Amino acid sequence: MAKVIPLISAEPNKLYRITEVTGEDNQHRRLVDMGFTPGSELFVAGVAPFGGTILVSLRGFSVALRESAAETIKVTAV
Amino acid sequence: MNEYDYKIALVGNPNVGKTTIYNKITHSFEHVGNWHGVTVSASSKEILFEHNKILVTDVPGLYSLTIYSPEEGISRDYIYDKNENLIVDLCEVNNLSRNLYLTLQMMEAGTPLVIAITMMDELKRHGKVLNYRKLEKAIGLPVIPIDDRYHSDVHLLLSVIIDIIDSGVKSTFDLPYLSELPVEDISKIIQPFAEKAGIESRFAALKILERDSFILEKLSLGEEEKKKIEEIGNWQDRLAAARYSYIDKIMDGVIVSSVSLEHKEMHEHTAHDVPLNETEDESSKSEDYHKKLHDDIQRRKRLEKRGYSGLDRVLLNKYLALPMFFAVMLFIFFFTFSDYSPGWWMQEGLSYVFDDLLHASVEDAMLSAGIWSWLVSLVCDGVIDGVGGVLVFLPQIVLLFLFLALLEDSGYISRVAFMTDGLFRKIGLSGRSVFTMLMGFGCSATAVLTARGLEDDMMRKKTILLTPFMSCSARLPVYSAICGAYFALSSGVNFKALIILGMYFLGALIAISYAAIFNKIKGLKSGSLSFIMEMPPYRVPTPTRVFQLLWHNAKAFLVRVGTIVFALNVFVWMLSDFGIGQVDGNLVFGYVGDYDPGQIKSFLEYAAGAISPLFIPLGFGGGETGWQAVTALLSGLVAKEVVLASMESFGGAAAIFGSNSPAALAFIVFTLLYVPCIATITAIRKEAGVKWMLANIGLQIGTAYVVSLIFYWLGVLFVAQTAVALSIVIALVVLVPATLIIIRRLRKKNRACNSCPYCNDCNKTLCVSDQDLES
Repeated sequence: MAKVIPLISAEPNKLYRITEVTGEDNQHRRLVDMGFTPGSELFVAGVAPFGGTILVSLRGFSVALRESAAETIKVTAV
Repeated sequence: MNEYDYKIALVGNPNVGKTTIYNKITHSFEHVGNWHGVTVSASSKEILFEHNKILVTDVPGLYSLTIYSPEEGISRDYIYDKNENLIVDLCEVNNLSRNLYLTLQMMEAGTPLVIAITMMDELKRHGKVLNYRKLEKAIGLPVIPIDDRYHSDVHLLLSVIIDIIDSGVKSTFDLPYLSELPVEDISKIIQPFAEKAGIESRFAALKILERDSFILEKLSLGEEEKKKIEEIGNWQDRLAAARYSYIDKIMDGVIVSSVSLEHKEMHEHTAHDVPLNETEDESSKSEDYHKKLHDDIQRRKRLEKRGYSGLDRVLLNKYLALPMFFAVMLFIFFFTFSDYSPGWWMQEGLSYVFDDLLHASVEDAMLSAGIWSWLVSLVCDGVIDGVGGVLVFLPQIVLLFLFLALLEDSGYISRVAFMTDGLFRKIGLSGRSVFTMLMGFGCSATAVLTARGLEDDMMRKKTILLTPFMSCSARLPVYSAICGAYFALSSGVNFKALIILGMYFLGALIAISYAAIFNKIKGLKSGSLSFIMEMPPYRVPTPTRVFQLLWHNAKAFLVRVGTIVFALNVFVWMLSDFGIGQVDGNLVFGYVGDYDPGQIKSFLEYAAGAISPLFIPLGFGGGETGWQAVTALLSGLVAKEVVLASMESFGGAAAIFGSNSPAALAFIVFTLLYVPCIATITAIRKEAGVKWMLANIGLQIGTAYVVSLIFYWLGVLFVAQTAVALSIVIALVVLVPATLIIIRRLRKKNRACNSCPYCNDCNKTLCVSDQDLES
């Protein structure tokens, strides 16, 4: 079993699998509604200059998340 | 009684092309763009299709029935109210599984549905095909794939919609995944409440599993029920996962590669796996090498499947992204405004037509026909110079809108929002605000509306408040005309383009500074944001769309010039060319030009003259022509184009400012910063309320006054003592940031670390826990 890390510390352009999504109700629901369900695979497509915001790709689309959301998504390397 | 034969609404995820279809169906020109959240309010239009009156409604995009931002609520209400005969669920083919998530939610709610699949052309380009019959059977809903470029496809969609409504719409669906969830248990608990609220209990139960506050409020459950539900536990993840795994099942084999693509892939594969001209001693290491190559290709393929784009890798590069963005903006400005640029040539050509051909020939013809001099003045000075003076900027304004549209449609503008987010979060805004501000370069009033997609209310209001500082296209003619008269090419430096560019930077700089200041004030701090925006795929804007956009913007500009600018111009001309005064002891009323200079004063001279002393410190309020400059600014409140129109009818910039070039500079700075126009003010009131509107007016006029004052006196100093002025400017540029940095350092040093348990005499300049407390 690979190490579980928050998405914010994931390496760019490497595949990860979601193990868990935590966080406050509203934001959490939005994330799972968008497809951040445990078991789905994703990768970080880019990091914004000056940091803090990352671009995440999954299920064929990309979405920009701030660290407050990216921290709640726990992933493990595939 | 229903006055329409059919009522349909277009619903779907953001950026699937709802408004594009709506525009095609209803022949409208609602704003569309390649980003998420273009449409922020519902719009309806009645059409006549095969003798049927159909009311078509376009609503903002939404990801889920459990909403996250206010404009999604509008769409949710349309779905829940069930006033429509049919909801057309638009799904984008590239992103079908996420789109079907909303479809499932609507099926749970018992919405009468038909699925229309858009962007079919992109699927073809990727060498794939959609087996829509298979999808139809699996999901149990009619599916219509369409290519929104063709009217015939839209026609087909409408025919099918009418056919479906006529033959009876299904509104209960069999969703097998529901049995995996404790829907029945909850349904039993809430049955009476659901009946009272008029919600189907199975659906209400699902929403309870999702903890949807909207439905929970409607149900108004008792304490006991709430407790029982609490015991069932949190099912949010499992519900979403159940929906997604059902979607994966439905989607199985629906989108497949076409034969030609498989063929191509096979070739690629062979090329990598069978190396040519391989020598003996290389073969051992080449096995590793080829394995690596193979792995790389496999890895890339898996990434591509999840939305990897090679272009993003370059454009969103951590170090290159911002410089590339600035390069793009600089290119746009120089292409449009600078001397000898395409925009400049077109403008010069038009001005030649108006000034040298039209004005001169009309004036000659009218004078030789013996027409009253005041009428000649009205036609030539008022209308031709005034309106024509604005009209010559048509090419440059259209060019600017063209570039904004290209940024929007290619999908680059969303990337800009992403790459600037890191910077803007520091001043309490988000990349999303940058987006609104960029749109502000086009038109402040419409840009204000784009702020609706911002979830944090304070952030949204601040963005609205500051967006009018961005230099909109209507202000451009004023800079261009004045710079042309005063700051043209000298000693090889293109001052005109530099000053125009400087105005854009100044506006942006002031907006950013205010944002930074506001974020330090307690009541104005923004909340935190977690979700920024989805990145649209890169798309090549189609020529038809670009042409449509150009025509639309050109038309809007021409209509404004033909109506508001023209009417106001004639009005200003009348008030400024007719007046009363004492001539030989008698009070007379008449055309100013018929009397000797100074004998009678025009009405405007009395009115604007009353407040013009206020502008004396800025250099343009005093003297013979001070009232003219003030009049131009006042009339600009209606629409900024009128500023130039009024100036032109007074004889142009050179006649108003004379040799006082610092005053001309102060005037353009004032034009940049003061209240943009009535349309923007109304938009701000609508979006943020009266308080913010008043704040905006006060802030803008105050800022305009102070900054123009600074520019005027720096300008005066520059003319008199160039070296001194330059050194002051350089000193300011260096000293102000330096002082700010030193002050920050000192404050941090003096403040004790309040939560560091390790030592007592710590004097670290930066403390992590301290920063956390701050943010």
